[in-house]
Parts: sequence; structure tokens; C-alpha cells
Amino acid sequence: MSTKDGLLQRHHFLLRRLQSLTGIVPIGVFLIMHLTTNSTIAWGGANSRAHGDGWVDRAVSTFQHEVSFINDMPLLLLIEITLWVSIAFHAIFGFMYVLSSSNNMTSYKYGGNFRYVLQRWTGMLGIFFIFYHIATLRWGWSWAIPGQTEWSHEFASSTFAAAIQGSTEGYTGLGLLVSVFYFLGVSALVFHFANGLWTAGITWGLTVSRGSQKRWGYVCAGLGAGLMAMAWVSVIGFATLDYDRALDAEMGRSHAEQTLPEQQHKETVTQASNEEHNGG
Amino acid sequence: MSEAEAYSYDAEMRKENRKKAVAGRSVIFKIKRCDGPGKPMRWESFKVPITDGSNVISSLNWIAANPTTVDGQQTTPVVWDSNCLEEVCGACTMVINGRVRQSCSCLIDEYAPLEGDVITLEPMTKFPVVRDLWVNRDRLFNNLTRVKAWVPIDGTYSMGPGPKATHDLQQMRYALSECMSCGCCLEACPQFVKVEDEEKWDNAFIGAHAISQARLFNEHGTGKRLKGERMDELISEGGISECGNAQNCVKVCPKGIPLTESIGAIGRSATVHSIKKFFTK
Repeated sequence: MSTKDGLLQRHHFLLRRLQSLTGIVPIGVFLIMHLTTNSTIAWGGANSRAHGDGWVDRAVSTFQHEVSFINDMPLLLLIEITLWVSIAFHAIFGFMYVLSSSNNMTSYKYGGNFRYVLQRWTGMLGIFFIFYHIATLRWGWSWAIPGQTEWSHEFASSTFAAAIQGSTEGYTGLGLLVSVFYFLGVSALVFHFANGLWTAGITWGLTVSRGSQKRWGYVCAGLGAGLMAMAWVSVIGFATLDYDRALDAEMGRSHAEQTLPEQQHKETVTQASNEEHNGG
Repeated sequence: MSEAEAYSYDAEMRKENRKKAVAGRSVIFKIKRCDGPGKPMRWESFKVPITDGSNVISSLNWIAANPTTVDGQQTTPVVWDSNCLEEVCGACTMVINGRVRQSCSCLIDEYAPLEGDVITLEPMTKFPVVRDLWVNRDRLFNNLTRVKAWVPIDGTYSMGPGPKATHDLQQMRYALSECMSCGCCLEACPQFVKVEDEEKWDNAFIGAHAISQARLFNEHGTGKRLKGERMDELISEGGISECGNAQNCVKVCPKGIPLTESIGAIGRSATVHSIKKFFTK
């Protein structure tokens, strides 16, 4: 008889459940926050009227504001390392599961079987994408960015636009390839998360009945659709962003005329001079 | 869609086929053959005259009496396993036209309605072939012993009548009790892979049938006495966490057993069992 005494065997259940858990916390939760931040490049311009600048300028400023906020967080490196370790753990064990399974989609063309196969492919594409994404933008492997532009968190929008468009002058062939890769990568990861959340319901025993599995499926599909929309507008937003315009917004050089209405201007000036008199 | 509907999800197509079935036709049986364990596989085709109500077993009987291939070659009769001939024993399970099912209940009219239509027969791929379409399903039964799929009543004195069960519990358990250990769920499962070495069976995926049987006996008034031991096995290597949730098992189960509900229920028991163990053991 074979034994179950090896290190991996003894902690088999714990490791499998940890693999499931890390997909949701911290990785899934981070994915939601990351896509919320990134999609500001599309919807961040919504309050541009209040600021008296253009939609794109405001979107760039909003995104920059979010990136600066994240960069000012205490113990940021600890958060980053937690994420990297979680992703590496999830991916390494994920690969082990892929290698121990067989694929029979040709004989059994069921929706569930298709999602099972897709879950494995999106995981493999996703980890490849995440590695490229972190290596080029966080670990400074700018040689892997077409045009070798470097990403800077102080010029977050413009330098990222240059990184996925291939140059600061607009699209290059390689840049187009990187943009498409980003589009496929984020789509794969959003599906992987939404579908993984659905299967986690069965794995942990939350959804037992067929009805509950179906209802939880709708919840996950809804969440997935929302995240997919955010992912797509993020990629499209940066892929269509003009480098110079974004740089201007980041430098505070607004393209919009910033003039106060005549009456208001007068009042403001009077008020200011009054205050000067009183204070003096 | 219920499991029963899912199982026959191409039932409409089969119904249509039955309507257009031509009387007095002959169909081709393309059969994957193997002379014994470790021997190479080969394909042989047979032309079989179809009579009213022919099924795969009756056609195999005809081939056994007339073992000549379409090329006119004399060959050995095709070997297969069967017993009840009414889809309750599971012995005649094989892969028909690429999908696993029982051959006794497989009507030719539904699969090959026209002259010269082809039906392919293959042995199940997850179990070792004994000969031709006959496979050795020992691993399936071994996995039932892994989860102690029985009610412990052995002792030195009478234990009296068993505890009463509610109607709802009876209904739930009845569905699970219909399992005939045929192996369809294992054949269609992408996580249940063939393991030649008997020594390694206990570390490989236990399969949907055993998970469902563990639930059946965990829910039994007397059977639940072994719940802890069953759950210990199910949270070890080869247990419940090998499931990848492809859910093919429930789609191919000929008895419409809610296997994915059993997997969810055992998943829940495993969560509770492991937390309980963490704090008490």
C-alpha cells in the first residue's frame, strides 16, 4: 500500500483550500480594487465640469490621484509581497492541478466542462500576463516594453500609455501586440476570478443544492460582467490615451481655459483685499 | 434542466432518429478490440442486420455468432461484460459513439437509423481492459471501501431497530441509493485519470460515486457513526479536493443522481470536519 506521509500529502487538504482561498483573498479582492482604480481613466473625467478642465485631463488627474494615494500607503511593500507570494502560491499549485488532469471536451461538450477547461487556460494565460505586467511596470524590466519607455508612478497615465502603445509618439506594431495582450490578459483573469468564485461555492460547501449553485452562478456572472466592463474600459482608455495630453495634465498644464466668471472674479479679489486690510 | 434531462440532452435527436429508422437495414459496428492486458488496440468493423428493438447487446450477440469483419476476415468473437440487461447492474457500461453509457439500454434505432450508419464501441478508458469491451472496475469498488460505504451493524448482540428517518431525509437518500457503481461518472470526469498501479489507487481521486455514497451513509442514522473516518479519508490526498467542478459526472449519470449536490454537501462536511479537527484533535 502507498502511504500519505509526504509533506504535500499530510497537508493536502489545507494546501488545496489555501489555493482556493488565496484566489479570493487577497488576489480577487485586489483585482476588484485594481480594476476600480484603473478604470478611472475612463470614468474619472465625470467631474471635469466642477474642475473646469477637460474630460481626459480630469481622468488623468483622477487616476494620478489614486496612484499617488496607493504609493503613499504605509507598509506598501508588505502589501505587495503578500500579493506576490499569494499569486505565486496560487499559480504553482494551479499548474500542478492542470498537469494532473485530463481534458475530454471533444466527447463531453457540456457548459460546465467548457468552463472547467477555460478555467485552466485562463489561469495559464493570466499568470503569464501578470508576470509581464509586474516585471515591466514594477520591477523595472523596461527592456521588455516596446520602445523601452519606463513606467513612473508620478506620471502614471502617460508612461503607461507609452508602454502599451509602443512609444511616446503613438502606436507601433509591437505596441499594438502589447495592447492586445493586455486586453486578452485582463479578460482571462476576470473570467478566471468570476468562475473561480462560483466553483469555490461548491468547494467550501456554501452552495449545495442545484438551485443555490444556479443562483450563485448568476451572482458570479453579474460580478464578472461588471469587472469585465471595468477591465475593458481600462485597457481601451489607456490604449487610446494621447501621451502628450496626458503628460500635460500630469504637469498641471490644463488644456481648458481656467477663468472665473466676471462678477465672481471681482468679489473674490475684493474679499481677498479686505482680508489683507483686516489682517494687517 | 434536471439531471435526467441532462443525461438525455440529445433525447430529441434520438427521438427523431427513432422515427426515421429504416426496417430491414444493416448497420456497421466499429469496435475497438484488444486481446488482453497490455496487448495493442485495433479497430474491427462488423455489418449487423437490425431487427425490431435491436440494442447493442443483441447486436454483440449476433457478432459473437458471426465473427466475420466487413472485409470478410474471420476473427474471434467480441468479448463484453453484462449481467442484468435492464440498466440496473452497470456491468455493460462502455463508450458508445464517444460517450459513456450502458450498452443494454442503447437502442440501435436511436443511434443508427439508416442503412450503413456506423456505431462505434470502445471500452471505458479509465479502467484496465481485460479483453475487448470488458474492463476491470476493481478500483471503483476499492474506492467505496476507502469511504466505508456501509452501515456498521456487526456486533455480539442485537442492536435493535435502527433510528427513524424523516420523509425528506428518505427522499434525499433514496436518490443517492440508486447508484449502481457503473463508472459513467468516472469515465466522464477530467480529474479521474487512469491509474495502472494498484498501489497508487488510494492516493488518486476517489471519484464522484464514492463521494456520493459517503454522503448516503453519513446521512444514515446508524451509518453516521463512521462519518469521522469517512471524512478523514475524504480530506486526504485523492479526496474531495481533487474535484475540479467540471460537473460532467452529473450529466452522464444514467440514474440522474445529484452527484454535484453530494460534492457540495461533502465539501461542506469537509470544511466543518477540518475546522473541528484543528481545534479539538
